[in-house]
Amino acid sequence: MMLFLENIKLALSAIRSNKMRSILTMLGIIIGIGSVIAIVSIGDTMRSVIAKEYENVGINRVIFYTMAADGVYTNEDMFTQDDVDQVKDAFGDRVPYIDTYCQDRKTLSNGKRQQEQVYVYAVDAGYDQVQPMELLYGRMIDQGDVEAKRHSLVIEKKIAENYFGTVNALGRTMEIIDNDGREEFTVVGVYKEADSVLTAMSGGGMPTVYVPNSVYFTPDSYGWELNCYVDETADINLLRTQMTNYVARMTNRTTDEVICVTAREEMSSIDSVMGILSGAVGAIAAISLLVGGIGIMNIMLVSVTERTREIGIRKALGARTNHILTQFLIESAIISAVGGLIGTLLGIGIVALGGLLIGVAVVVNPMIIVIAVGFSAMVGIFFGIYPARKAAAADPIEALRYE
Amino acid sequence: MEELIRITDLNKIYDSGAVQVHALKNINLTIERGEFVAIMGHSGSGKSTLMNILGCLDRPSSGTYLLDGIDISQQSNDALSDVRNQKIGFVFQAFNLIPRTSTLKNVELPMIYGRVPGKARVERAKMLLEKVGLGQRLEHMPNELSGGQKQRVAIARALANEPPILLADEPTGNLDSTSTIEIMELFTQLNREGVTVIIVTHEDDVAAFTDRVLWFEDGQLVDDRKVEK
Ligand SMILES: Nc1ncnc2c1ncn2[C@@H]1O[C@H](COP(=O)(O)OP(=O)(O)OP(=O)(O)O)[C@@H](O)[C@H]1O
Ligand SMILES: [Mg+2]
Repeated sequence: MMLFLENIKLALSAIRSNKMRSILTMLGIIIGIGSVIAIVSIGDTMRSVIAKEYENVGINRVIFYTMAADGVYTNEDMFTQDDVDQVKDAFGDRVPYIDTYCQDRKTLSNGKRQQEQVYVYAVDAGYDQVQPMELLYGRMIDQGDVEAKRHSLVIEKKIAENYFGTVNALGRTMEIIDNDGREEFTVVGVYKEADSVLTAMSGGGMPTVYVPNSVYFTPDSYGWELNCYVDETADINLLRTQMTNYVARMTNRTTDEVICVTAREEMSSIDSVMGILSGAVGAIAAISLLVGGIGIMNIMLVSVTERTREIGIRKALGARTNHILTQFLIESAIISAVGGLIGTLLGIGIVALGGLLIGVAVVVNPMIIVIAVGFSAMVGIFFGIYPARKAAAADPIEALRYE
Repeated sequence: MEELIRITDLNKIYDSGAVQVHALKNINLTIERGEFVAIMGHSGSGKSTLMNILGCLDRPSSGTYLLDGIDISQQSNDALSDVRNQKIGFVFQAFNLIPRTSTLKNVELPMIYGRVPGKARVERAKMLLEKVGLGQRLEHMPNELSGGQKQRVAIARALANEPPILLADEPTGNLDSTSTIEIMELFTQLNREGVTVIIVTHEDDVAAFTDRVLWFEDGQLVDDRKVEK
């Protein structure tokens, strides 16, 4: 142990006394580790961004829509509340929530001059059970609202601030205006929109307000799609087939004309693209680590030759074969580990800088620093074995005589 | 007196393929604890070869070498490392300090291999440097020292693990006459303190400090006599 510490000190002083050479030697490792760290961090960051987006959208979401036969959508191609109720009866045990995703752009006003464009989303009761929402005040549209066709309204935090100067806007009255006229609603809940990188990058979207679907949905209104949230434990492939068949029969279409999109599939296809990307970069990194390792081997061989006399002196003073072996192994491990550390910091630095520029919180797994430094130390040990054995095998007399 | 070194019918033959050099021929020699011995002889007579064998850096081709009761020819390389570490202190003509390493660290080195704990090690290294008159030069690098100073560091280092024997191959060969006298006085003092000192030298002035001179010619021990004081 004592020797181990002495060897580390020795290695560090050897690196210090040859700064330029050490840095050049480390370059391969720095680039290799740096690029691995950068890619892994980019991957982790993207995955977390995407996962977050899907969390906003809903990972258990399955959407059905139909293909218009002639490419022109008519009411025939859309869904009514009656369709929703049929599907609900058939699949309610595995699909806790279904609506027609009826989201219209309308004007929201406080009854005075102030007004703005919003999406009015006519939801069923229980929407907040399947789609996580951050409610700041009040509640989400519930069964009572739907059944009693109450004019209840759930608004976004910023709307509340804009119109009422306070987030707690419960009980306030607002108007939704469209071509048919204006209708009064009472605020029953205020929610905060989840931070989304995509909306942030597109300069912020139009806010959404929620109303009971029974208020907006008359028997002859239509929605674009069947918006389902399935049970997490459900067999999604089976459900998908069954529901597609059902919807096709219900709407008198072939199954080819019913399109089904699941969030999970989209997410896994993005994951697989990331996987291919990581694999390609991993291969490049492996090559540069190999080159870096050979560089270390080369410089260690030079160092062993240069220090032949020193090796002879050490042996004369009582160093065993193993002492010399570990001295040089530790030295190459440390050169490599320091390179790995520099590479790690560089990689993280680059990714963090990039994240700062596009406004994304970068995800860096702290374990990766440990793994990277440990792995590069192992590269150093592996490529240091040959030079170190050469040093350890030196004959003391010949080594002492070396000029 | 107690016997420290016994060499019996020792031969050393360098075999480099075509040429064979018979560097030591049938040497028989005993040296007792506490002796101060000079080894002399013309260039190429085998002095360094003998010193390397005495110092367990090399093995004899035939014959036996008993050091403090240990049969050196029977030992593994690591065992020889340990013998060198514990029983022998080397002083070289070319000083052989480790470059870019402080005086103190150089003196600590044999104790590091001898597993002397850090604090005791530093203390002893300081004490030894004090003893050779370099107490003020602990953090100097070898290239910041004069030849005489370097050799004194080397002597301090040789004494690190309190070995019973000091082996010095032409220790004053690179020094001027003043430094030579200083170094020889240091060896004399150490010998008085009980260390067995064996020195290879070409100079009669240096040999005059010792008690016994072994004269080598062409690989043979041809003369072994007490120095008259
Ligand atoms: N490694 C070796 N291989 C072959 N021959 C050697 C080797 N080392 C020494 N010799 C030969 O052995 C003989 C004795 O050499 P040695 O170095 O012991 O002489 P020396 O008495 O120390 O001489 P000097 O006073 O010049 O140092 C010489 O002839 C030398 O050439
Ligand atoms: Mg010689």
